[in-house]
Formats: sequence, C-alpha cells, structure tokens
Amino acid sequence: MYLNNPIALTQILIIIRTNKNNGDQMNGPWVEKYRPRSLDEIVGQDHIVKRLKRYVKEGSMPNLMFSGPAGVGKTTAALALAKTILGEYWRQNFLELNASDARGIDTVRTNIKNFCRLKPVGAPFRIIFLDEVDNMTKDAQHALRREMEMYTKTASFILSCNYSSKIIDPIQSRCAIFRFTSIKGEGIIKRLETVAEAEKIDLDKNAIESIVYFAEGDLRKAINILQSSASTSAQITEENVYEVVSKARPKDVRIMINKALDGDFLGARDLLREIMVTQGTSGEDMITQIYQEVSRMAFEESIQKNDYIKLIESIGEYDYRIREGANPRIQLEALLTKFLSKAKAE
Amino acid sequence: MLWTEKYSPKNFNEFIGNLKAKKEVIEWAEQWLIGNLQKCLLIVGPPGTGKTTFAHLTAKEFSDFVELNASDKRSYDIIKRIVGEASASRSLFHDGMKLIILDEVDGLHGTDDRGGIKAINEIVKKTHHPIIMTANDPYSKRITSLKRNCKVIKIRKVHTNSIVAFLKRICVNEGIEFEEHVIKTLAKRSNGDLRSAIGDLQVIAQGKDQISSADLDIVSQKDQVSNVFDSVRTVLKSKNFAKIKDSMRLDVNPPFILETIVENIPHEYEKAEEIERAYEMVSLADINFGRAFSTRNYTYWKYSFDFMSLGVGLAKDETYKKFARYRGSSVYAMLSKSRSKRALMDIIAQKIGNRLHLSKRGAIAQFPYLKIMFTDDDMAYELVNYFGFENKEVKFFRSKKLKKLKKPSKSVRKQSRSVKKPSETNFTSKKAQKVMKKDKTTKTAPKKPKILSKKPKKDKTNEKSENKGSKSKKKDKVEKQTSLFHF
Repeated sequence: MYLNNPIALTQILIIIRTNKNNGDQMNGPWVEKYRPRSLDEIVGQDHIVKRLKRYVKEGSMPNLMFSGPAGVGKTTAALALAKTILGEYWRQNFLELNASDARGIDTVRTNIKNFCRLKPVGAPFRIIFLDEVDNMTKDAQHALRREMEMYTKTASFILSCNYSSKIIDPIQSRCAIFRFTSIKGEGIIKRLETVAEAEKIDLDKNAIESIVYFAEGDLRKAINILQSSASTSAQITEENVYEVVSKARPKDVRIMINKALDGDFLGARDLLREIMVTQGTSGEDMITQIYQEVSRMAFEESIQKNDYIKLIESIGEYDYRIREGANPRIQLEALLTKFLSKAKAE
Repeated sequence: MLWTEKYSPKNFNEFIGNLKAKKEVIEWAEQWLIGNLQKCLLIVGPPGTGKTTFAHLTAKEFSDFVELNASDKRSYDIIKRIVGEASASRSLFHDGMKLIILDEVDGLHGTDDRGGIKAINEIVKKTHHPIIMTANDPYSKRITSLKRNCKVIKIRKVHTNSIVAFLKRICVNEGIEFEEHVIKTLAKRSNGDLRSAIGDLQVIAQGKDQISSADLDIVSQKDQVSNVFDSVRTVLKSKNFAKIKDSMRLDVNPPFILETIVENIPHEYEKAEEIERAYEMVSLADINFGRAFSTRNYTYWKYSFDFMSLGVGLAKDETYKKFARYRGSSVYAMLSKSRSKRALMDIIAQKIGNRLHLSKRGAIAQFPYLKIMFTDDDMAYELVNYFGFENKEVKFFRSKKLKKLKKPSKSVRKQSRSVKKPSETNFTSKKAQKVMKKDKTTKTAPKKPKILSKKPKKDKTNEKSENKGSKSKKKDKVEKQTSLFHF
C-alpha cells in the first residue's frame, strides 16, 4: 500500500537510513551519553513523569509546556516521551526546532507547516518540540499560536522555556503546563553513581557531595563537572572537583569588579567590553555572574555589608533596564560606575 | 543673474583650487578623445567645491552630453535607456562621443530610483562610454560598490584664502567697495563652500556700492552640520545650557553619538561621582532609544538627546581646563577585530547545540568544561569525533595540537584508564619530557632518546610517551643536520 504513495515511500527510505545511523553509539560528552532514554530513568521529577506516563498509556497527549531552570530534564523528558509514545518510528514523526536554529516567523511557519502537512507514518500522531520558547519574539510566538491551532488533529506540540511568564497567554492557555523544579540532592547523587559505575571511575563520597553542592540542582552541570574531573584523574576526590569548578568559573568578572572597586574605571570597562563583545557573553549572563560574584565577595567580607545592599539595588535596577530592551553593554558600563565609590573592605 | 552662474569658470584655467584633481580630469578627457577607453570618473567632495562644474567643463571637450541629476527619476530602466541612446548616437555620427553625467549618485532614492545603482554598476563595468559621476559623501553605502570600478577623484574644500581672493575679484568687477574683514568673515563662514560664499556676497552686496560689517547680519550663518567630535567636545567641555542643547543638531545616527560620548566620558571627567552621574544619564538615554526601537515610535528620541547631552554635560562639577584627545568608540574596532573569532565560536556552538539539544547560549556555557575535558588526549579524541570538530575548532579548546591518530578502540581506552595510576604515569611522562627538553637545549646525545623510547614500551600503558620519544628522535636528527650545516 505504501507503493502508491511517494511521500510514504520516501519516509520509509528515511526510516531505513536513520536506523542505520542509530547503530554506532559514540562516546563523547556524558551529558548526552547518559541522557535517560526512557521516562523511568528520569530522576527528581517523579510527579511529572507519572503524568506523562498516563499519556503514553492513553496513546494521546495535549500540547505540553515544560517550564523550569536549566539542566532539570525538560529536553530529556520531551525526547523520552516522544520515543515511548511514538514507538519505533519516533524519529520520523518528531521534529525538534532548536533555539540555535534561526527561528524567525518564516522558518517557524515553513518548517512546522511542511512537517505537519504529512500524515504520521507508523505512529498515532506527530510531535513538534520547540525549546527556549521564551526567547522567541512576541511576533514569532503569535505565529506559533496559529500553527498550534491549525494542526491539532495531526500533531502535538511540546514547548520548553525557563520562565512561563515570558510566553504569551494564548499559547499558555493551549498547553498543559508542567513546572520542572531543580533536582534534589539524592536525585543527582543517584545519577552520578550510575554514570561513575558505567565509566568505572572511582568517586569518593566527599567528591559526590561537593559536585552536588556546586551543581545547584542542575544535573547537566553535575555531569559536566564529573566528566571534567575524570579527565584530570581516574580517582576523583573533593580536591579534583574544587579544581575543576574553579577552572570552569569565569574569572574575568571578578577581575573586572575588583578593577572598578579600585577606581580603575577604564580598565574595568575595557574588560567588560572584551567579555561581551569579543567573547559574546550575553547581558543576561553577565548580570547573573556579576550578582553571584558580588554576593560571594560579600560572604568573603571583601565588600562591606552596607555597600552590598546598595550594589544589589543597582544590579536589580540595571537587570530590569536590560530586560526592558536597553543596550546591555551600555547599561552594564553604567552599572560598573556604581562600584567606583565603594571601597574594598580590608 | 545669479553670481554663481555669472562667475562660474568658463574653462579649466579659471577653476580655483584642487590642482591635482584638475590635472587628472583633463588627462582622463584627453585619453577618451584619442580613443582610449578609460574607467569611469567618480568625483567625490563636499558641496560647493566644484564637482558639477568640473563635469560641465569636461563636457565642453566632448561633442555632446546628457545629464541626469537628482531632480530626474533615475530607475534601472531610465538609466539603461539614456545610456543606450547615448551609445546609439555615437555609432551614427562616429566622430564625437557623448559624455554622460550622473550627478549626486549617492542621493539615489531607495524606492523611487529602484535598481538605479545596479544599472550604473553594469554600465560602469563595461566602460564603453565616458561617464562622470559626482557624490558628496565618500562613505555612502550606495557608492561602495561603485568605488571599486571607478577612478575616484577627491575634491577638497576650497581654501579660505582662495575664497577671499575670488570674492574680492567679484567685488572689483561689480564696482563694490568692501572692508577687508567683511570678505574674510564671509569666506570663513562658508567653511570651504565657494558656492555659498558667492551666494552670501550677492545677497548683501547686489545693487549697492559698498558693504560693511553691519551687512553681515543679513545673512545668518549657514546651518552648520558639525561632526560628532565637535558635539562631544561641547557636551563634555561646556556647562552652557543653550550651547549643549544646540550641539545635538547634527546629522549622525543618534546611538552612534551616544557611543562616542560614552567612550570619552572617562577621558574627560576625573571624579568618580561625575562619571557615575554621567553614566546614569547615558543609561536613561539608552533606555529611551530602546523604547523608540521596540515601539517604532521615534518621538522618544528627544528624551535621549536631552539625557545624553544636557544630562551628561551638567554631570560635571566644574569644567576641566585640560586637553583631552577624543576618540571613537573602541567597541566598533573590537567588533571588526573579533569577527573571525566570533564566527568560529558560532560554528562550534552550532555543532555542540545540534548534538546536545542546546541553544547557542547553552552551548557556550559548555565551553569551560569542554576546555578541561580536552586536556585529556583520549577524551579529546572522543569529543572531536563526536562533534566532528575540525583542526581550527580543536585549537579553540586546546593549545596543544592533537596528534592525528585514529580513535583508540573502546577496550584499549578503558584499559588505559583503569590501569593508569595518576602518580606513576605522571612521573614517567614528566621525566621523559624533562629529558627531552634537556635534549633540545643541549643539542647533544642523540642516543639518549633511544633508551627512553624503550622504557615506556615495557609498561605498555602509555603509547603517548612512546610517540613523543620517536618524535624527539626525529627532531634530534633534524637538529643534527642543521647544526652540521652551520659549521
């Protein structure tokens, strides 16, 4: 029966080809190697997994929205759900539009339309997965909303985002919203131990605990720290973990703040420009790092408590200004001037 | 009759200033007339310096000319047709050539003159016809492609002294008595624009037999389009409300003015509080640019202008009496300098994002961990194969070159990792390196590496050091040869 249908035929060919590619499992980053392939393997999101399994049982699902911080399993859950619910030919019926792809209105429209126009082959329906929807423009979100309405019979959407508040209401109302929370210590420990066993690495208890501490509920970060530590030695101790974390932490921001506190505004500004213009760090990431460094410095008592509160006030204000659509670099330069009048505590 | 017409030069000898340009244009015309095809001429210079006059003087040398200036519609079809006609008439009469003058090509309108630049470019490339084009703004985007295919002649502002001399000649000719300083002021005010100077003179002098300084008030100073740095200087040096407000009347992209002011604040202001206050104003100006941009309602710009000029200007306690050299924003230089690096980062982020289901930002967040993982050779191989990194991209993560080896099979890798005891292997490899370094420096003992290369074979764990051993042997050989050569 497929022979009469050229589209179905090409799809079958694709199936054969992709299955071949599936064969060679490569090593590489552990975050991908040990990404849970099934819903059962997912740690720390039990209540969500339970509800997702119900969709599998029923063989249908509404449009879903996964919101939550980075590294808590949004993409993993989407992939695992698609795999189980779509069955053997999930690859052919699953479209992932990554945030690193161009996602203007046009690409969203044409890609999704082309994908949805075809009937699902070997699966009950098709799934479209879009991540970081909160970084899409309002216009693109509105375009997306139309697509969601048009293909309700043949396709379901899974959207993921960090903050559901940044998503327009009409989309939110069309989705069942799942709020992923950062993963608790025991969940991370469980996963780290699985990986360590599979990779035959020696991981002592203190090391695990320090990884959990630095990961801050982000499992991707935890596994990255683990693999980075494993690259420096086969036996992982607390010291290895500390070394890796301090190596991976961007140091430029600390240096920049210190320069500003010393009154060297030009030096601080040059460094800021270097970080943002040359290294391409986004304004949002910069302000997060500045906040973290300032609080760390207050803890180490290298910034006075009164000054700390004033600085946080400024940081919050400039954070808001950047989100409001101002030029992040100019706003952060202005924020740097706030450090000039604050003396370093001895 | 307008004096600008009346006193416009009738031949090249009467032309004032720009001697070099004059010579080039004359030469160009002569070459055409004896039948040598030449590149098209593009005459660039500020208004009122004689670009169009140049073109018209040149036209006299040719039998005929057509002119298309800003008042004509200059779309693709029209330009093609005009040029087509010009070439047709040439073939009919054969003896003369028709000169084509395209005035103010940088003023071609985007929609009304659709395709105009394209048509000009096509014609210019063929160079079958003598064409003279003029333009005011040498940096206009519209003429960047033209500049490549044309002979560009730059015309400079006319020197004040030349203008003075010329104005005097007119006065004498018209029988007008003048005070020296009136003529000088007129010339100075014109800022190198001879046409406006003659125009001004006519306004105050026509029908009179004498001009004095009182007459100067009749003609107000021309609306000066000052450059960015003049404005920045006023903002940072002055505390005069009207003067600062006035300085924002310039025809430059407003965010660019802001960037230039921002760049120079810390070069002028010395107190931390002043910089802080000034930057607060900069921030507000920038917010209003953002609002204007996102709502497409550009009425917000007026607030930006006030914040960045008056706000910044009044942020200083006292005016500084010092010389500060103002500069353009370093951001633009940084952007162009880092272009290739950023492109590389984009490619890497794309490759990582595709495999790890991450956005560009998420992928960049992986960089520091990848940098650490790349220090281990085995893991580096795996990652390179996994992501499909090329040499250039590997270099981004690790300064040491990754030797071109096939990916070690899984079992070997596992073994080496489990056997590898950090202390021992570190010791041997370090020792090996040390000896090798010694070898390099002393340039002696070619036998030593042989022994060394045997050693690691025994414990079979570390093929890397073996490799290094053989390599150093090779190096030694080369060094030996070169040293022989030397003596």
